[in-house]
Amino acid sequence: MRKNRKYLDPVFLSKLGNMDLVARCAVEGFFAGLHPSPFHGFSVEYSDHREYHAGDELKFVDWKVFGRSDKLYIKQFQQETNTTAYILLDSSKSMSFAGDGVVSKMDYGSYLAAALSYLMLSQSDSTALILFAERVIKHIPPRSRRTHLNIILTALQYNRPAGQTNLAGVLHTIAETTKRRGIVILISDLLDDEADIFRGLAHLKFLKHDVIVFHTMDHQELNLDYEGLIQFEDLESKARMRAFPQSLREGYRQRVAEFLDDIEKTTGNSGIDYCLLDTSEPLDRALVAYLSKRKRMM
Amino acid sequence: MSFTEWIFLLGGLAVAGPVIAHLLAKPRYRRLPFTMLRFLRSGQVESRSRRKLRDLLILLLRCAIIVLIAMLFARPLLHIRLKPSRTRSVYCLGLDNSISMAYSDGSGSYFEKLADSAVDYIRSAEDDALFNICALASGDWMQGLGKEQALAEVKALKVEPGSANVADFLSGLSRANRAEDLGDNVSVLVLSDFTPNTLRQFINVAEPAAVNRIDYEPIVSSKPVNNAAIADAHVVGVVEGKLTINAAVVNYGQAEQNRRLTARAGANQSDPIDINLSGNQRKNYQLKLDVGAAGRESSSLPVELSLSNTDGLNADDTFYLAVSIPGHEDINILLAGESENRLFLLKTAMETLPRTSSYDTLRIKQVPMSELADSDLDWADVVVSSTITDHLGNLASEIESFIKAGGRFVCFVTEALVPEAAKLLWQQDVLAALPGKCIRERTHIQPKPSDSQVSGVDHIAERSLSNYRIDKILIKGYFECEQHPDARLIWQFRDGFGFVYLKRQGSGTSILVNTSVDDSLGSLTKSSASVAFCRYLLGESHQIDEYCFTRDERVLLPISGGGRAVTGQKQFWVETCDGRNRRASVADSFLLVPDPAGIGWVKTLGKPTIYAGVNLPQGETDMTKPVASELAGVMDRVFKTGAERIVSEAEVFHDKKRRPLWKIFAWVLILLLLAEPAVANRLKR
Repeated sequence: MRKNRKYLDPVFLSKLGNMDLVARCAVEGFFAGLHPSPFHGFSVEYSDHREYHAGDELKFVDWKVFGRSDKLYIKQFQQETNTTAYILLDSSKSMSFAGDGVVSKMDYGSYLAAALSYLMLSQSDSTALILFAERVIKHIPPRSRRTHLNIILTALQYNRPAGQTNLAGVLHTIAETTKRRGIVILISDLLDDEADIFRGLAHLKFLKHDVIVFHTMDHQELNLDYEGLIQFEDLESKARMRAFPQSLREGYRQRVAEFLDDIEKTTGNSGIDYCLLDTSEPLDRALVAYLSKRKRMM
Repeated sequence: MSFTEWIFLLGGLAVAGPVIAHLLAKPRYRRLPFTMLRFLRSGQVESRSRRKLRDLLILLLRCAIIVLIAMLFARPLLHIRLKPSRTRSVYCLGLDNSISMAYSDGSGSYFEKLADSAVDYIRSAEDDALFNICALASGDWMQGLGKEQALAEVKALKVEPGSANVADFLSGLSRANRAEDLGDNVSVLVLSDFTPNTLRQFINVAEPAAVNRIDYEPIVSSKPVNNAAIADAHVVGVVEGKLTINAAVVNYGQAEQNRRLTARAGANQSDPIDINLSGNQRKNYQLKLDVGAAGRESSSLPVELSLSNTDGLNADDTFYLAVSIPGHEDINILLAGESENRLFLLKTAMETLPRTSSYDTLRIKQVPMSELADSDLDWADVVVSSTITDHLGNLASEIESFIKAGGRFVCFVTEALVPEAAKLLWQQDVLAALPGKCIRERTHIQPKPSDSQVSGVDHIAERSLSNYRIDKILIKGYFECEQHPDARLIWQFRDGFGFVYLKRQGSGTSILVNTSVDDSLGSLTKSSASVAFCRYLLGESHQIDEYCFTRDERVLLPISGGGRAVTGQKQFWVETCDGRNRRASVADSFLLVPDPAGIGWVKTLGKPTIYAGVNLPQGETDMTKPVASELAGVMDRVFKTGAERIVSEAEVFHDKKRRPLWKIFAWVLILLLLAEPAVANRLKR
């Protein structure tokens, strides 16, 4: 378990470089860690038996029935209804922040997006990827082909954070442009006006989308563990501020906690799944959150 | 609050350092990209003001530490206002009970007059006054006495056979002052005859004593002083059974002295000598006392010198002198040199020896080395050879027999040394060291012999050699010597080579001096140390010793040597001057009597019986009257009236009005130093 968990460690994933490898490592590492998994095999559902015909694979023979009736029957599985997943990855400049200097929020979000895409496409779900900042930068429409994964992963690989966040506007745009309802997975640091964000999310929810918000935050953003005199420079607005973090730490943590609490409560009230992700933590929490949501949908 | 060492307060200026650093220091910010500035901003105003406050607090804390260190070094004192209490009168009396106070002019002794004056003084004091009384001769203090107790103590006081000790009085006065409240009125009374000896001690006082009042009274007679004393005496020697003693008699008064001086040892008495001394005159007289066979048998002879008739003071009319008279021996010394003049300087130095003090009689014979014969060895007690020649090598077995029979063989070496002869002597165990290669390098001798415990040399000469600058004498060359296993190296050159080797063989002694008499040792024999060096080489002599000490000295009696060796004993019983038996410890072959307890005889109880005479210090009974103006000047200088008492650190602890604060300051400083990192760290959060 511990050995496999390393494939979920963002620092380890950051060393892989290749996004395909990242996605594969993360998902397979995740399942190996969960074995035996309660989610394993949900993608196919038993429906009926039929008589064995030549050419059928022997692995689908129901040997128990054969034992009772001395006849060969094949177990038939019903393919689940495909769903469409829209992965919205915030690519604003603020996502480039890396408190420890190794894994930025962007990297973490990309790994998560890659892992989720890999997972979804392996379940034959249609997966779309939308990269956005002030507006939608790249929109990869939903497809369920396995080769679609390459397109998504390439987009993630070459995605660079830039521009300011306009999350509310982007959410409204997506709500208006998506025709088929599905799972909207928002990966963002939510650094925008909270009311606007909620309005955007509410818009998606209104359109019967299942929404999961992965709130990616750096460890330093959550805790402000800096020491000494520091001149902070905002990544998006370039505003500057001199401060002595030790003296601000308590108040800062309190305000951040209030902010997070506010988001969690509002999303909870709207039936939106909310998952706060610390970029220093492994990806499995995010995957568990997604799979729980997916199971509830079935 | 005041400060004992206020100059250290200037150290407080060092606070300028942190203040300037605080003013000049610019905060250096680390640039860091961040995302959530809006969450930081709300607390920013508060943090900036807090930071300033924090910096100020840390600055104040550090300044406080610096100021406290400066104040700590300045040793602060806290002045406490005590409730006004009635001032007590404390009287410190210094009463001279030294031997000179026993002087009587016919109308009573000085000491009786002193006691009367002291009694009058005490009676005139307030009823609740406190008295501290010091007997100057013994240095004993009676402190915290009431009026009646003080009177009783004065009446019980007696004259002690010793000198007044002013230093003890003044140090005791200082201690007594400390014990009293600083508000007390301290008066001092000194009653003494202020003899020159006592007055000299007052003059030598370095630090005056602060008192409120000083009274003194010279107890002197209005009549001319009538006192003569035997100031000193020494033994000259014994000639034909008569002990010759030189005695110094001094007229310490103005009255003319016409008396007779006699020496007595047991039943034997010298012929009296008439003494005629005018005022303040000193003369030496020679007495001859018949000691005969009795004197020779006795290890220690007590000789009393006394003046006939009486004067104002009898205690100094007798002088005690213990004399040890061993039997004299004739020592035959054979000087064997390559030529007649070879050992000339050494011979000259040796000839001087019998003339000093009472050394054994030396009979010196000089022969050329080549003519040295068996018969010469039979005659000699000591053989001194200027070098090692073939002829000496041929006599190796004879010399060995000579040494074993108790002879002393002293051998110098020169470059003319014959190695084969030296080898022969070495093989016969005659030489203490075998001379090898000659080293022609200049060197110096160690200032003193290295081993003081070795037997076979004269230890008195060894000590006296230390008084000469032997280390300045340049030796031009020496030999690399191989030391005999049984020999000891008793003196070295500065570069570590041996200078004098000594070997005991049988009952005799062989000494090798690793230098030439004429080339190098010539410098030594020409020097004033030559006589002591000869005596050192010739060994212990049978000489007259005298044991005469003063009352102030520790009595040291030799208990080893001269056939009186006492081994194994750690202590002896002795009878001291007061007739009591006391223990005396043994240290380094000396018997140490710490306190002779008066003047007269100290003698060991048991065998060997050794006497030591204990006398008054010279000049103790010099009754010269003090000059009033000089005395007033001295007393004004020694006792400061009206001045604030000097406060020493020790005194402050007893001062009820001034409390030292530096302990509190030190603790506060320690706490601040411990708290500073924690406080600074806490404030920086």
